[in-house]
Amino acid sequence: MLELKKVGKTYPNTVKRTLKDISLTIEDGEFICIVGPSGCGKTTLLNLVAGLEEPTTGELLLDNAPITGPGADRVVMFQEAALYPWLNVLENVMLGMEFLKVPKEERQRRAMRYLKMVHLYEFAEYPIHQLSGGMRQRVALARALAMDSKLLLMDEPFSALDKQTTNMLRAELEQIWLKNHKTILFVTHSAEEAVYFADRIVVLSENPGQIKEIISCDLKRPRKIDDEEFIHIRHQLLELVRKEVMKFAKEEYDQD
Amino acid sequence: MQKKNTTRIKKVLELLLFLVILIVLWQFFYFLGVDLLGLWKSYSVPSPGGVAISCMNLLQSGVLFSAILKSLGRGIVGFAMAIILGVILGILIHHFPYLNRNLKPVILGMQTLPSICWVPFSILWFGLNNSAILFVVVMGSAFSMSLAVDDAIQNVPPLYIKAAKTMGAGQKELYAKVILPACVPSFIAGLRQGWSFAWRALMSGEVMSSTIGLGQTLIVGRDMADINQVMLVMIVIILVGVVIDKCIFTTIENRVLKKRGLL
Ligand SMILES: Nc1ncnc2c1ncn2[C@@H]1O[C@H](COP(=O)(O)OP(=O)(O)OP(=O)(O)O)[C@@H](O)[C@H]1O
Ligand SMILES: [Mg+2]
Repeated sequence: MLELKKVGKTYPNTVKRTLKDISLTIEDGEFICIVGPSGCGKTTLLNLVAGLEEPTTGELLLDNAPITGPGADRVVMFQEAALYPWLNVLENVMLGMEFLKVPKEERQRRAMRYLKMVHLYEFAEYPIHQLSGGMRQRVALARALAMDSKLLLMDEPFSALDKQTTNMLRAELEQIWLKNHKTILFVTHSAEEAVYFADRIVVLSENPGQIKEIISCDLKRPRKIDDEEFIHIRHQLLELVRKEVMKFAKEEYDQD
Repeated sequence: MQKKNTTRIKKVLELLLFLVILIVLWQFFYFLGVDLLGLWKSYSVPSPGGVAISCMNLLQSGVLFSAILKSLGRGIVGFAMAIILGVILGILIHHFPYLNRNLKPVILGMQTLPSICWVPFSILWFGLNNSAILFVVVMGSAFSMSLAVDDAIQNVPPLYIKAAKTMGAGQKELYAKVILPACVPSFIAGLRQGWSFAWRALMSGEVMSSTIGLGQTLIVGRDMADINQVMLVMIVIILVGVVIDKCIFTTIENRVLKKRGLL
């Protein structure tokens, strides 16, 4: 169980509060999607949970213990695929497991399995710089999944992918989540994606970033994006986010 | 690949042609200034022909060859010591904020000191021998190496480190598997610069001592008032420095950069 208690964040040397009073309890095995306008603090929120940033106010508890730093129980898939250019695709996927002291053979087997899943099996020996942006995201996804951590933090993981690949990976991720009972915090800017995955959708508003609304989403799975109910929730969500962006635009306009 | 090779050959030919032009110009001005107008004395201006003869003589007597070997050996030993010292110092000033605030500026200051300034100390402490020269070489390049190491670590993209931490890397693994490999390209650039400092420092040291080496050969040339020998040794010093840079450091650098897709 992950608990956020009145979490606030102001970056050092800035005056503006990035996050304010975020309170949220996430049960084990929940799929939480986070949406909100660009710059509202979604990445910051993930970084706080990851332990890469410290909250200015409030506290974060994971299974009742405060989060004090990063750890392999909360693997992050960053907005930019954070791959290492001196390693090839396979070695990149294997590195995380090496930190976890997974035996070499097991590492290789698992890495290959997940590379197959993201359709990069043939590219295992490729250097990173010869991959496209979308392929890099898929390698990062394979690396994150291969770590098999209970809590997975994903920052717009499918943002650079085409429609087909996205659909395929969505299904794969959902399968893995259902099978392994992972808890997933998933940032996205696609309303469709949020409604596809989420048990609950956390809508953030900006300046300071705070929870505007939490939409529960209990459509049965697997979800069909052309279902009537699906479309209804998606519209509701879009409306919320749009209002938020407009409000912000208006505030700026008024200030001028 | 074929095309790449031909452009490379073209480049080399172009450079050679340029050097030939330089030598022709040199000969021309020598002829003009010394033979025709008598502006300069022939013993104070080297000529291409004179340098060539000097080269033949020194090659025949084996002096040039052994001087190059001795100097190179000394340069390599001294530079290796400088690298070890520089890496240790670099990691220290990077790791400890106190040292970073206080020792780093001092090192920056030392780094601006021309290596020849270390010669008096080295002679007092070690005498006119090999150790004295090595001391000058180490002093001349270790500081630049330590600053390069500090800089290399400083410039590791934070995302690399964050990613490793969230994958559970400990402090040791972080250095061994992420920071060190990430530093390699800028470290090699630092090595190149360090080598150029070491080589210069070596010459300052050798000029002062009487052990066999390029620097000493240069001074012998001066003492015999043989300006052509002095010029020859200067050219050899440049050539050896450039060849080491191109054959070793540039080759390694290109290979690393290519592997990472930075070239
Ligand atoms: N290291 C930092 N130092 C200072 N300010 C920061 C830092 N990182 C982020 N910010 C600020 O915090 C705010 C939120 O940033 P964040 O990256 O969390 O947004 P986001 O919701 O992930 O946006 P996007 O959808 O564009 O990725 C921004 O206004 C940004 O300027
Ligand atoms: Mg972001």
